[in-house]
Amino acid sequence: MQLPGSAARWFSRCARRLAVPAAAAAIAACGTGDERTLRVFAASSLDEVLPRLVELFEAERGGVSVTLVFGGSQLLAAQVEEGAPADVLLSADRVQAERAAAARGAGRWRTFAENTLSLVVPEGSPATSVDGLAEPGRRVAAGAPEVPVGALTRDALALLDPGVARGLRANIVTEDPSVRVVLSRVETGEADGAFVYGTDARRGRAPDGGALRALPLPAGLPANEYVAVAIAGSGPDAAAFVDFLGSEEARRLLEAAGFRVPAAAGAR
Amino acid sequence: MSALARGGWLALAAIFALFFLLPVAGLGARALTDGDVASELRADDTWRALRLSLATATLATGLAALLGTPLAYALARSGRGGARLAAALIDLPIVLPPAAAGIALLTVFGRRGYLGEPLEGLGVSLSFTTAAVVAAQLFVAGPYFVRSAYAGFRSADPRYEGVAYTLGLSRWRTFRSVTLPLVRPALAAGAVLCWARALGELGATLLFAGSLPGSTRTAPLAVLNAFESSAGLAGAVSISVVLVVLALGVMLALSRLTQAGGPYR
Repeated sequence: MQLPGSAARWFSRCARRLAVPAAAAAIAACGTGDERTLRVFAASSLDEVLPRLVELFEAERGGVSVTLVFGGSQLLAAQVEEGAPADVLLSADRVQAERAAAARGAGRWRTFAENTLSLVVPEGSPATSVDGLAEPGRRVAAGAPEVPVGALTRDALALLDPGVARGLRANIVTEDPSVRVVLSRVETGEADGAFVYGTDARRGRAPDGGALRALPLPAGLPANEYVAVAIAGSGPDAAAFVDFLGSEEARRLLEAAGFRVPAAAGAR
Repeated sequence: MSALARGGWLALAAIFALFFLLPVAGLGARALTDGDVASELRADDTWRALRLSLATATLATGLAALLGTPLAYALARSGRGGARLAAALIDLPIVLPPAAAGIALLTVFGRRGYLGEPLEGLGVSLSFTTAAVVAAQLFVAGPYFVRSAYAGFRSADPRYEGVAYTLGLSRWRTFRSVTLPLVRPALAAGAVLCWARALGELGATLLFAGSLPGSTRTAPLAVLNAFESSAGLAGAVSISVVLVVLALGVMLALSRLTQAGGPYR
């Protein structure tokens, strides 16, 4: 049996949340040397792609060193609101980001990526469509309605054929507090399918080590938007970073990680 | 002890007591200002989570007592060195991070686990059931009972049992009327610890049993969920306070019971 790496990651994220205030304090205590420092608070789901984006940005911009603090969008927004030393906020939750921006004032603003809902099964699964997971006895993992991925899942179920949706609902065996835990359910083989994000479909692994396959979902599903906000008074590097996220090379990296990049991605 | 030394001693005691009490008091204060405990309590999901927590923690503690007492007795009365090692091994889930405990349970009882897979073939599946919640709690909290019971049996002088045998009492009768009264406080203390730990169990339950309202979402899982939701801290704080008050009530009641039931009173 394979260990659920995503579950481990989720728990380490919890641990990191506790570490965020300490890290923020440490960052604030750091003196500014020759290098300028840019403090980016970012949603956990960006933890794989963002370090690569940052590397590229640092090389292009020169003289700036980016410090990354990861956390849940809910927690990050609350911290920024309460005055945490962030220059840029990358949030997976537009409403949360707007709340933080309202409290601190925002400079540059951009919707730079979208994460779509994905119903994943192990590659070898007999299910070829959502109907296969709606059959009695199948086990499906989902996020709780309170978390963004769970809310998207409810939207998707509303768009499906009512009979299939009923079957799927009856097969949901768990409503998890985080998309990482939802993903771990297929990774350990405890569930036959899971409602996760497109990025998770890309990075997740089946119990036998194989890849995960996404079952087609109805068109017109809303996606989870990722917004980048330069906090007011954060200087030109922050604005440049927000602009950089809309650049061609940033888009390529984001797409390779499974994000959808909005065609109309523009600064505001 | 000089007045100065006694003052210092008391100050240390007070600091440590405050360290425990202040966060709990802060939680209460936060609930009164931000949270809405009353409406949170009226919410069906909260109520169901609390009921489920009470039922599963109590069941897990009952099982721990039923199965843990013979185990602790056997370990304490065995002269072999292996028994000490076994007693230490049974303590392991106490230091295991709860998430790891959940994964450990999955490796054995999960759908692809060593026992879970053959069981699945028979149509029995443990994960995502209320039974899995109890199993997770028993795994993580049971050692607290066994450890306390083991210490109790080891401190109960076996010569009392010897005397009882010479007076013609059967083994069972001796255990019931001589040994058990001697270790009752230790068993009760172990049960209280086990119950409290089971009530707060989160990580192993989430990984092994999942989180579905009504069947597997215990109160700590409901707190976690509330924290992730847009209601944020306020909702989480309200449920936490109810959990704390409930646990306090039960622990006070139990500690009265154990004092009243002691052998030399």
